[in-house]
Amino acid sequence: MQLRVPLLYVLLCLVLAGLIHIAAVLALPSLAPKNAWARLVPLGPANTMIQIPAFSRGHEIMPMMAPDVRYAFCRFDLARGPVRLKGAVPDDLWMVAFYTPEGDNFYTVSGADMKSAQLDLVIAKADQPVAEGGVDAPEESDEVFVVKSPVEQGIAMIRAPLSGQSHAASAEEALKATVCSPHS
Amino acid sequence: MRTLLQLVAVFAVALLLGIGSARYMIEHGSPLTTKRIGPWASWESEGNPNADPYTKAHLARSGRLPLTSTTARYFVANTDSTGYELTSACEYLIEGSALDARWWSLALYDEHGSLIENPSQRWSFNSDEILRRSDGTYRINVASNARPENWLPSGSGPERKLVLMLRIYSPRETNSSGIGQIADDRLPKIERKACN
Repeated sequence: MQLRVPLLYVLLCLVLAGLIHIAAVLALPSLAPKNAWARLVPLGPANTMIQIPAFSRGHEIMPMMAPDVRYAFCRFDLARGPVRLKGAVPDDLWMVAFYTPEGDNFYTVSGADMKSAQLDLVIAKADQPVAEGGVDAPEESDEVFVVKSPVEQGIAMIRAPLSGQSHAASAEEALKATVCSPHS
Repeated sequence: MRTLLQLVAVFAVALLLGIGSARYMIEHGSPLTTKRIGPWASWESEGNPNADPYTKAHLARSGRLPLTSTTARYFVANTDSTGYELTSACEYLIEGSALDARWWSLALYDEHGSLIENPSQRWSFNSDEILRRSDGTYRINVASNARPENWLPSGSGPERKLVLMLRIYSPRETNSSGIGQIADDRLPKIERKACN
């Protein structure tokens, strides 16, 4: 018996498979219900610094978080204007990373890049003017560093790597003291 | 009738091929997106706003929020250097050398990416705390029971699969796209020792 699969069917099958492949890959990010954004949003309100609790074993907020890094994040929402991040950065190793809801890390600044160990920056959309403070403003206000965000809502994540477990308490203390709030 | 059946069959095969290949390339990766060095796999554009759709899909499914690959590199291993799955039923010796980066950390997880309960509360070793030999190399023992030098506990109880993640912050060498580069021979070897 001669098995005959018409060439046309094979071609049709391959073309269809290719289209389905492309559609599946492109659709997946919006179909993944438990991406990082979906895990972080329920932890608290926008424009507030929230510490991610360490060692909630078995029910980690995100998988494969570093046990020797302490994390705090601010879910910024720029709908009502720019948002400010402020705090002391006790360690050059700290990283402040900015993400879109899809997890694109569009900007990162490290503790080593910060002047006088101070974190002080404003997140704003490209078309949002950041108040310069006017003529009466104190000198330092025009030092404010602006991060242009491509998205209205996103995440600013601070990572505090620990040199050893004995540094955990002081790192958590320092993260607790960082502030995320609307920039007036 | 026959043509209709054939078309349905064609569509079913296409669906299987399309979804199957997409799933494989998103979960496992391909040479386009994922570098494999021995037991280690690393998605080269992870977290990067210009990443390809496979990498973005992989990231969305993973639930992680990594630093972009121009700031940090992440290497994941779920097998030993000979290709056998990592399991808490076996002991492993990890041998590595210094990495040209600002900070690195090697952590052990179960297959769900959760930390493994252990009495000494040890889940990782990083570049600041690991015990090194005089030549700068280090050895980590992955085992259920306490071991000398650097001991990374794989926990007690029923057998579980293990995953290692090496995170490297601010590698000093980068390629033309600014992606941090780690020389292949610098990544730790994972040697299987005794098994239960």
